[in-house]
Amino acid sequence: MSFGLVLPTIALLGAAPEQQVAVPGAAPVAQVDSQTGQQTTPPAPPAQPAEQPPTTTAAPAIPLDPLIDPAAAPDTNAAPLATTVSVNGTAVGHAPGDPLEGLNRHLFAGYLFSDRKFIRPVAMGYRHVVPKPVRSGLRNFFSNLGEPIVFLNDLLQLKPGRAFKTFERFVINSSLGLGGLIDVAKSPNLGLPHHDNGFGNTLAYYGVGPGPYLFLPIIGPTTLRDLLAGQGDDFVLPIAIGNPFDRLEYQIPRGVLSGIDDRAESDSDFKALLDSAVDPYATLRSVYLQNRAAEIQALHSRSAKAGTTDPLGDPLGDPAARQASPLDDPLNDPAAPQSTTPANPTDTPASATANP
Amino acid sequence: MRYIIPAALVAALVAPAPAAFAQASDAARAPVQSLCDGLIGIMKGGKAMGARGRGAAIGPVVDRVYDVPLMTRLTVGASWNTIAPADQTALVAAFRRMIIGQYAVNFDSFSGEKFSVDPKVETRGTDSLVRTTLIVPHDQPVAIAYRLRVSGGSWKIVDVFYRNSISQLATRRSDFSRVLATGGAKALIRHLDELSTKSGN
Repeated sequence: MSFGLVLPTIALLGAAPEQQVAVPGAAPVAQVDSQTGQQTTPPAPPAQPAEQPPTTTAAPAIPLDPLIDPAAAPDTNAAPLATTVSVNGTAVGHAPGDPLEGLNRHLFAGYLFSDRKFIRPVAMGYRHVVPKPVRSGLRNFFSNLGEPIVFLNDLLQLKPGRAFKTFERFVINSSLGLGGLIDVAKSPNLGLPHHDNGFGNTLAYYGVGPGPYLFLPIIGPTTLRDLLAGQGDDFVLPIAIGNPFDRLEYQIPRGVLSGIDDRAESDSDFKALLDSAVDPYATLRSVYLQNRAAEIQALHSRSAKAGTTDPLGDPLGDPAARQASPLDDPLNDPAAPQSTTPANPTDTPASATANP
Repeated sequence: MRYIIPAALVAALVAPAPAAFAQASDAARAPVQSLCDGLIGIMKGGKAMGARGRGAAIGPVVDRVYDVPLMTRLTVGASWNTIAPADQTALVAAFRRMIIGQYAVNFDSFSGEKFSVDPKVETRGTDSLVRTTLIVPHDQPVAIAYRLRVSGGSWKIVDVFYRNSISQLATRRSDFSRVLATGGAKALIRHLDELSTKSGN
């Protein structure tokens, strides 16, 4: 669950210094499977819609979509956002990339309820009772067990350099780090921090789209691709190694523990989400999908030495083409009177003035 | 004599370019820098200032460095033009209050944080991108980038990217769209005001 990301993000503009730090992908509750305890980074699940174009750039290229003042260009993009069909008072369709929005919202509401009644209290109790070193030790331990999967996917994405670092990290933490309990490798001298990787990323890397967005009880925000791929990640150790990993006696406690731990770690972010969003469901979805898109774009940024493509750079982008990603729609200022745009039913570029 | 002309010509052609460039970049960085300074200011003010005090302190900075009306329009999207002028004004005000309230809530204590503003300003079309890093002692640095556009003769912030990838506008658009679609501008204004009130601003 990537609640962690959310809040800070939401903090419109800034991220609360404290919150930002490490927002672990918080998996709500018990995850029987899913990637091993991840660190403070975003969730492991992969990809997001519209991001195939491998972009390259040294500094992470920030996708700047054309921001067009609606006041200027009335309707050009009236549509993009508006896959959402609003019927009178209530009925609303779904947002782009979220065809199962109705179901997802129910699941989200259910999650909020169980979180309030049960999950959060348990997670907070865990945080208060179990000393921090123990908690981070466990988190590191499970994360370390996931490094082979990261390694495998680094290789599948043809990144031997990254794979080698993952390998070194695994060896160092498994030995010096006492079986993974201590993350020695990330210390500045060694400089081998954890990075998330999994089959979801690999699929995305090779062009598989995210499929519908999903919000699931135990897993949190994900997409169909990332969900299925995450199951694949979870099968690696049971299949390759077998014994404790294929046992429920191992999987259940592990899932429960890391779920609770994630929830505890992302508490302030989650609270921020609920406190600062008008529509927490949609906000979480947007942040999750944007973050996934960026992660996947980053996978490409090293390999594609080609050009600096800035997919969102041109203001003339066809809004229809980009609908897939909520990120992508051109931001047009509705108030800005603009000639280019053809017909707009409603809006007469009246507002140029209206919006100082 | 002859030499003078070419020399002058060369100077005229060459000199302005870097100068203009430097100006543009400084001009776009300035608002970002003053926002960063303002945020450090309210962080230092901390609890003693109270949420309302921090909001009061950062408010004028927000007004100066952000193009709040444009951000509001961009967030609302095309349906902006269907909103009654009075509601448009109220929406801009609510949006502004929300930004301020968020800052007041999130930047409420100081423990040695620093912002570093990248001297290099990137340009995308008519917009500029200024990158900053929030340096938190004993923690991971956080990348925060600002997108600016010229408005009324000066650069104003129109979007903020968290971790270089998560656009504030995109997030808010998603956040607002359902309420706008179902309840219209008035419902959104009400929701925003509730949030701001909760945040103490």
